Amino acid sequence: MQVSLYTALALLVLTAIGFLIGRRRALAAARSGQDGARERLHSLPNYHGYYIALWTGAPALILIALYGVLGSSLTNMLALGELERASAPLRASYEQALTSDDRLIALALQTREAEGEIVTVRAALAAAREDSDRAGSEAFSGRLTEALRARNDATAEAAARRAELAAALVAGPQGQSADARALAGFEYFTLPAERRELFISDARAFAFGEGLPSRDTPQIRATAQLLPGYQNIFRFSIAALALAGAVLALTLTRGRIHARFRARNRVERVVSVALLICSIIAILTTIGIVGSLLFESGRFFASIDWRVHEFLFGTQWSPQIGIRADQIGQTGAFGAVPLFAGTALIMVIAMFVAVPVGLFAAIFLSEYAGPTTRAWAKPALEVLAGIPTVVYGFFALLTVGPFLRDFALFLGYEDAVTQSALAAGLVMGVMIIPFVSSLSDDVINAVPQSLRDGSYAMGATKSETVRLVVMPAALPGIVGAVLLAVSRAVGETMIVVMAAGQGANLTANPLESVTTITVQIVMLLTGDQEFDSPKTLSAFALGLVLFVMTLCLNVLALHVVRRYREKYD
Amino acid sequence: MTEPQRDIRQAVRRRLARRHRAERRFQAYGVAALAAAGLFLVLLLGSIAIQSAPAITQHKLTLPVEITAELADPRGDLSEASLRRGSYNTLIQNALREQFPTVAERAELRELFGLYSGVNAARLLNRVASAPELVGGRVEFTFPISDDADLYLKGVTVRERIQPGLAPIAISAEDTDRWRLVSDTPVFAEILVETRQALSVEAAGLERRRDDAVERAEAARDEDARRAASATAERLDAQLQRLRIQAQPDQALQLGPTTKSVLVQVGDGVYRLTGIGADGASASAQRLIGEVSAGAVSDWRLWTVLTPPTARLISDRQIAWARALSDRGLVENGFNTILFTRADSREPELAGVLGAIIGSVLTMVITMLLAVPVGVGTAIYLEEYAPKNRLTDLIEVNINNLAAVPSIVFGLLGLAVFINLFGMPRSAPLTGGMVLALMTLPTVIISSRAALRAVPPSIREAALGVGASHTQAVFHHVLPMAMPGILTGSIIGLAQALGETAPLLMIGMVAFIADAPALGFGGFTDAATVMPVQIFLWSSGAERAFEARTAAAILVLLAMMLSFNAVAIYLRRRFERRW
Repeated sequence: MQVSLYTALALLVLTAIGFLIGRRRALAAARSGQDGARERLHSLPNYHGYYIALWTGAPALILIALYGVLGSSLTNMLALGELERASAPLRASYEQALTSDDRLIALALQTREAEGEIVTVRAALAAAREDSDRAGSEAFSGRLTEALRARNDATAEAAARRAELAAALVAGPQGQSADARALAGFEYFTLPAERRELFISDARAFAFGEGLPSRDTPQIRATAQLLPGYQNIFRFSIAALALAGAVLALTLTRGRIHARFRARNRVERVVSVALLICSIIAILTTIGIVGSLLFESGRFFASIDWRVHEFLFGTQWSPQIGIRADQIGQTGAFGAVPLFAGTALIMVIAMFVAVPVGLFAAIFLSEYAGPTTRAWAKPALEVLAGIPTVVYGFFALLTVGPFLRDFALFLGYEDAVTQSALAAGLVMGVMIIPFVSSLSDDVINAVPQSLRDGSYAMGATKSETVRLVVMPAALPGIVGAVLLAVSRAVGETMIVVMAAGQGANLTANPLESVTTITVQIVMLLTGDQEFDSPKTLSAFALGLVLFVMTLCLNVLALHVVRRYREKYD
Repeated sequence: MTEPQRDIRQAVRRRLARRHRAERRFQAYGVAALAAAGLFLVLLLGSIAIQSAPAITQHKLTLPVEITAELADPRGDLSEASLRRGSYNTLIQNALREQFPTVAERAELRELFGLYSGVNAARLLNRVASAPELVGGRVEFTFPISDDADLYLKGVTVRERIQPGLAPIAISAEDTDRWRLVSDTPVFAEILVETRQALSVEAAGLERRRDDAVERAEAARDEDARRAASATAERLDAQLQRLRIQAQPDQALQLGPTTKSVLVQVGDGVYRLTGIGADGASASAQRLIGEVSAGAVSDWRLWTVLTPPTARLISDRQIAWARALSDRGLVENGFNTILFTRADSREPELAGVLGAIIGSVLTMVITMLLAVPVGVGTAIYLEEYAPKNRLTDLIEVNINNLAAVPSIVFGLLGLAVFINLFGMPRSAPLTGGMVLALMTLPTVIISSRAALRAVPPSIREAALGVGASHTQAVFHHVLPMAMPGILTGSIIGLAQALGETAPLLMIGMVAFIADAPALGFGGFTDAATVMPVQIFLWSSGAERAFEARTAAAILVLLAMMLSFNAVAIYLRRRFERRW
């Protein structure tokens, strides 16, 4: 870190020097025209400075940035390569021990048999389900469970046997004579994939003090001893390369400066390319979103055998996956309809609050209110819009929820709960009020005054003008605003996470607790997670649904506004 | 005037009146809508301000702690290593036992030590380790009292009533732990009546629920539901019978964990009544604290804790101890500095927002460094450079759509791409800042474009007219003029990012972080949390005291956002230019 920092500082200094040199040379070139006459520079001296500075600083800084991103994994790779070489003899004899062990061979056979059985039984089970043959499918699922258990037992035993063999090898004469590095390499390469990362991060913890190591063994220490050496080689070579490159670029570009040199055009081209790159980041973000959602959803759907219709139209949502593969209900149920229904219920409640209040507030502010009222009301609405959603969630959870529950209990509804769709929906509606009102305000203000004046001239009252003239003219815009508000409500997370509950109830009763798409995404992705389980991946499928939904709503809103807007100019 | 004319006139007048009524009604709807929005705002902020009140101050206990050599310095050489191995929690425990020497039983001791958190011992350790000469002496050690005791002393969670004793009572020991309180006059009669009343109210409620259950059992369609309902009915009925027996007027009253606690304070001692005789003049009691010999006393106080023990987290004994410590002047209520100077903790009395504030600052630095230059660059490109072609159209559509993508989707992007693909650290401000930067980018771009568009073309044309290149015209003339607008928009976007929670949950910034991250380069990759996430974490905390702290943290967050917005408004006012 220190070396990179100093290199970066040195580069900055070099860049500054490059700038000054460019300026000075340009000025000198201007003075040294023929016959002592001043020659006109093509570009201002500063542009010559920028030109040299760009060549000096930019490539070297990019190199350092790349090292910052990739450096640690390169170091790890080199250190592991060293471990691999050191442990080669040990691993060779381990492989030999594995292939010659009768027990393991038998177990492998068993596993293969069980897997074959699983495949056939799965097919039979699917067929039985197709035919809705209840007895048959029950029998097959029993057999499936047995086959799964047999396979798991066999693989677990094989793993235990392998560990046994490895331990025997390390304790044996070859292990005794091997050095710590070889042992470390052996341990690393016999670890299962998911434990390897932990091994490396423990070693890094010892080597560079990154966080706390989870355990302390001679093997990890040996790896830790290796790491700094490689890191130093890398660090210093990168630093030297960057500095050398900078100096080289400085000297080379310095020679190019002369009075006719078109420095400004070159610098300006770099600037415009940099600006283009900035704007491409927005596209990259969208590609990243769509790509990652599609990719991870694809993995999820693959893990549920592409039964996409079950995901979209199933009514059972219980994504818990058993810890053991043969546990009951281990496949989980991924029917997302309760989530869609919950989202819709809360959204409808929110709209019942937000649309009338927001719309009337907008009408009042744009048609009736005097400047003083506007001066007070607009900032108040802005404050309402600026409050973080987690604060609304807290309000819903601790004030609105209990109040509604007590009120429902008072009215004689016995099953009232604190976390209800109504509490979440009401508070979400409040959150969306300023959104609706500011969008509608804009739309209403865009209706030309001449329309109103015409209506007044016919003797209409203000409210009649608003209802019969302004509203129809502004309707497409208002519909667009409401659609945008719906999309906002669908994607809102914190209020529902805190106030709507987690139970996937399929209900239309606003006093029950429901769950939404966003709540489930949060539930599935917070806490301990293994990244490859269908449970975690299903969050991405939900995210994809959410993304598509909001995208459609936005496109629809835009379309409504464009298609039905009346042009008054 | 003829009849039909009058009719028409009247009809017109009526219609006009109706139309005017409609007009007023319509206007009233508007006022009502605005008032509703204002009411919500006031309710929201008001309820949070009220809820935060108990977290503003905190009760701190100051005890003289004897730093005995054998406990603080196990090796006896006063070296730092030895001092760090001392058992300082035992020292604090001993100091507390000194205050209440009669406490001896293990269970009682555990309750006594529940008055503070053992984490405090670390501070005593540091103090002694930095000044070894303290060993062997006494130090005044101040530490926050437990959250339950704190809330009790503030009167938030427990309602109580203290009255002077009406008539002298005689105290006599029945056996080791049972005492008898007898008076000539029915001094406990009032409590007897009150408790019975409460019991009969409860009984009435139970009766209604039992009847409901019976009804449900009769109306049930299937066997399972019927059985469940009748089981409920039976259970409720049994409870009801018990209550009824308790509530009978001629019976002695048993006080239990579901009724209010009645304490009798005599000098330093406190007794808890376990039962009251039917006459209201005699009672049996347990001794909670103090050493009082038997005998007649006239100066005593009747101390009723109205909240029953099952409805509070602090026991009768702890109440008595806390009150006694407070009466001895050892407990002081002061401004809650811990809330602002510490990071998160499992113990509410030791939890603070400093770690989250630092995490927020680090995250915002990354967001600002990424979102503002990239956003402004994009805006300049689209407004000033972009040729009209498919690529730029695509970019524009893209940005408008990105602005409407739910924030949680950005969190999914961060998880899938930044963490799983690029292997960036989880829970780190660097990753969080990058995710929030992508989220803020559309806001910055849109507001910057508006600001650039607001600069009149004459400026550009004048610059080009005197021979500036296009880039020079943009960077030397248009951009400086648009800067106030760009800054305002950027700050508002950053304020939004400051309050954002959902995407950060996705990338693991929900971790419990007990140490504030370093305010430096290293801090960017350390695990951290931010203010809104801290609020989310605390709001789900089980302890009651976290509720007030959550509200206080919200006020801190709102203050941070308010200062952001104030800067934006100031910039707008100061530099805004109308053309």
